[in-house]
Amino acid sequence: MIQTLTSTSSAALAASNRRIAKQGRTVQVSIKRCDGPNKPSRWETFKVTTERGMNVISALMQIAANPTTIDGKQTTPPVWDSGCLEEVCGSCTMVINGKVRQSCSCLLDDYVPNEGDTLTLEPMSKFPVIRDLWVDRERLFHNLKRVKAWVPIDGTYSLGAGPRETPAKQETRYKLSECMSCGCCLEACPQFNVEEDKAQWDTSFIGAHAISQARLFNEHETGKQLKDERIDVLMGPGGVNDCGNAQNCVKVCPKHIPLTESIAAIGRAVTIRSFVKFFKG
Amino acid sequence: MSDTTKAKPASTPQGFFDKHYHVLRRLHSLTGIVPIGVFLIAHLTTNSSLLWGKWGLRHEGHDETIVSGGVHYFWKEVQWINNQIPHLLLIEIGLWLAIAFHSVLGVYYARSGKSNTARYAYQGNWRYRMQRLSGYVALLYIFYHIATLRWGWSFLVPGGAKWSADFAASTLAAALRGSNEGFTAMGIAVSLFYFVGITASVYHFANGLWTAAITWGLTISQQAQQRWGFASFALGVGLMGMAWASLAGALLTKPSEMQRIELQLLQEKGKGGAMPGEGAALVDATPLVNVPSDPEGTQPAAGGS
Repeated sequence: MIQTLTSTSSAALAASNRRIAKQGRTVQVSIKRCDGPNKPSRWETFKVTTERGMNVISALMQIAANPTTIDGKQTTPPVWDSGCLEEVCGSCTMVINGKVRQSCSCLLDDYVPNEGDTLTLEPMSKFPVIRDLWVDRERLFHNLKRVKAWVPIDGTYSLGAGPRETPAKQETRYKLSECMSCGCCLEACPQFNVEEDKAQWDTSFIGAHAISQARLFNEHETGKQLKDERIDVLMGPGGVNDCGNAQNCVKVCPKHIPLTESIAAIGRAVTIRSFVKFFKG
Repeated sequence: MSDTTKAKPASTPQGFFDKHYHVLRRLHSLTGIVPIGVFLIAHLTTNSSLLWGKWGLRHEGHDETIVSGGVHYFWKEVQWINNQIPHLLLIEIGLWLAIAFHSVLGVYYARSGKSNTARYAYQGNWRYRMQRLSGYVALLYIFYHIATLRWGWSFLVPGGAKWSADFAASTLAAALRGSNEGFTAMGIAVSLFYFVGITASVYHFANGLWTAAITWGLTISQQAQQRWGFASFALGVGLMGMAWASLAGALLTKPSEMQRIELQLLQEKGKGGAMPGEGAALVDATPLVNVPSDPEGTQPAAGGS
């Protein structure tokens, strides 16, 4: 049985699943395999013997150590991307039981508590697959560059103390700064879709993460020097106006960043800037 | 800084849509509210008077039944709109252009998204999907509605009824039923299409009102978005009630019965069924089926039968 966890009921369901989970049980892990870019994909299912506190990454490690499918077929070890293993780097993001999330913080006890339960793993669908569960998130970072998601100081000489930041603004910005560029918001977004032609990247939807980061740096006292440039990009093709308000982004964000508030805030900034530009030139 | 990245804003936007991207997007949003949404409110208010008209007539409506009062009030409203509002055709053309603009861009924008409610069955995601679907339905419906009842494309109307301001309720009802008396099979299909069409249109407007506030940056915080969501929902429920009341008012009474009331009204106004200089229009406006008895002999030249 495939357990489907939604963000709202996940905590309660995970807790009850964890209570009934017995260690040393055997569960199945189905993986969407792909040998390389533009190669066809296939499903392979493996058996995993659970251990206390096991997450998806440790299950993958067990499979990779002995890559034999449930049909007894010898295959290649599955490939995945991971880094921090504490849900702050975003690199192990994948689609688990149909929903996008980090695999490191995904515990098997929460998802597959019973003997024989099946967990499904797929690579994110909005980015090109490099191999198996490993995808190329270049476009995500490209879009951060589009909005100049940085503070414009190059560090070649001392500029002295920066402008004062109010605690209230720090509070707003702190939450936005937790973005780890994982790509969950893009994977769940119906307006952000695969764009193979890189020339089209600059005019296709930029995504909630970049909009929110533009807001983060626009709110920064030094970062706001680039505010108009950021807003001009977000006013253009593929900018904030491409948002369709499905609001999946905020639902799947593992850091609970108020992405839809950022979208509305940037929407307001774009409205104001367009009026200023129209009447002032 | 500039050499650390090759990321540049799309400095060379190509094509009309990209060049005027922002203005087109925001005009698309604006036209949905003004004039289309505002017109929708006025239109549904008028049309639902088929049900509440008796009370709208105040002292005049004392002796009226709900049906006759509704037809009476609706007739008065339609007469006023068609005879008193200046530059009516200009206003109409403005509306048609706004609807065409909103539709063409809407379809173009909707095609840029890929719905994923199967995986992410959140309520907001469903609303996103229904917004696009209701847009397509509303586009088809509104086109049919205007083409048949306003432009007189009666070949698309089962029974061939042509709407006229002098017989506002009866010709509308006949176009829905497919005859002047009972429902024909095609009439039932048209009535169902109307039900789906008006439901989609009202949903599209109410949900669009909610998203527009985010698009323009009026509602920013989650609480503000929620509050405006409740307000849009309440407006949507109210308009939905009015839309369904309009349809119920048009469907519950036989066109021939409405026609009798309208003929009486025309007679009382001393028009004998004809406005000065509108004799030609009246031939078109003649009821689908002859009224069986016309005691005063005021009935205009018969058209179809």
